[in-house]
Amino acid sequence: MSGPEEPPAAASLDRDDLTPEQQVALEELLFRLADDEFVHAERLTEWQIFAPTIESDLALANVAQDEFGHARLWYDLLQELGYSEDECIWRRSADDWTHATLVERPFADDGWGDAVVRTYLYDVAERIRLEALVDTSYAPLADRVGKALAEEEYHREHALSWLERLASDEDAHERLQAAVDDLFPHALSLWYPSERGDAIRAAGFRREPVAAMREEWLDTVVPTLEGYGLVVPEPDEVARPEVRGRDGSHTDAWFDLREAFTATHREVDFDRPARLRGEEA
Amino acid sequence: MPTNMPTDVPGGSAGDAAGDAPDGAADAEACAYTSYDDGEAPEEYPKTGAGATGVEADVWDALYEVEDPEMPVSVVDLGLIYDVAVDGEGHCEIEMTLTYTGCPARDMLTNDVRCAAETPPGVEAAEVRLRYSPEWTVAMVTDAGLEALREFGLSV
Repeated sequence: MSGPEEPPAAASLDRDDLTPEQQVALEELLFRLADDEFVHAERLTEWQIFAPTIESDLALANVAQDEFGHARLWYDLLQELGYSEDECIWRRSADDWTHATLVERPFADDGWGDAVVRTYLYDVAERIRLEALVDTSYAPLADRVGKALAEEEYHREHALSWLERLASDEDAHERLQAAVDDLFPHALSLWYPSERGDAIRAAGFRREPVAAMREEWLDTVVPTLEGYGLVVPEPDEVARPEVRGRDGSHTDAWFDLREAFTATHREVDFDRPARLRGEEA
Repeated sequence: MPTNMPTDVPGGSAGDAAGDAPDGAADAEACAYTSYDDGEAPEEYPKTGAGATGVEADVWDALYEVEDPEMPVSVVDLGLIYDVAVDGEGHCEIEMTLTYTGCPARDMLTNDVRCAAETPPGVEAAEVRLRYSPEWTVAMVTDAGLEALREFGLSV
């Protein structure tokens, strides 16, 4: 058959229905989602004893736990496609990771404004990306999107409530502005076009092109930040980092972070994780 | 079971019409989420094994013995079990969900469920699949589950 075809319907494809090309495209989509969540969560855990109040210690830890949960949702799907957890995370080469550079950036010592701006930019993007997957053709993904989307709502509320509080204080406002200046170019890397974007949409895995999601994100975050008196760089003119994240190139901070979070796994040096009571008995 | 939130549920903020929210809905200003109320469970949920027969009924009975790691309520009464099917060969497939995606007891729970499902005679092997649709809500807890949670000290 030739000519344009409608992408497959929502939740109509299962693992065994995938062509090899479709599977490669699906894997790219899943790795981008999972890597973003995992690395974002790793950074957020650094706040656990440093946030300005015990409530915010707990809140950020809680957000991080959710994001680890979401990373696990997507890495699980990759494991159903044949990868091991080791291959997805612990023994994966640093330059195979495709997360956006936004989530790997280290926090400055007084970087609470950074945490607030970062989570806000990230969580709005995550909502837009998940909404574009609600009608995904890949049934196992369709099953999971709603759950993650519902959990995300709190993250945005948390970020927004802190944005509002910090924006009303002169000194804190300066720090927010510094965070926007620093992070916005890295946040744009969330929307680095996908090599397999056409294949992803032809297979119906995602309904929206990356460029449209980027527009929606800009239309949301720019007016909101400006509403708090913050100056947002012009997206098409701002100097962009040389590294892209999505293509496996990363800032130096990423390589240190990866060394740190894989260290225990390497030291323990087990072939497979210890099993719980009775498991595989 | 703790869902990973101060109190759960999008759209479940205080003061809506379902009527089973505890008092206190009026001072929702400080905290937007003061109630576990999350509307209604989807039709056919929670699944409780009512009407199951033969080996499948035995599996449901066994699953009633599996408790949530943090409180004395069975996973069935929590509404976590979405399906039990045993084929003619004794292969049992269970579909279940988690209260939230970041649940740190996932492997333990699915393992406990699998082991329990393999106890009835007639089951050779059991397999557990996680599903996240429909999304679990407190509305899926059975009456017996609610009572157990209240006894445990939760305001549900």
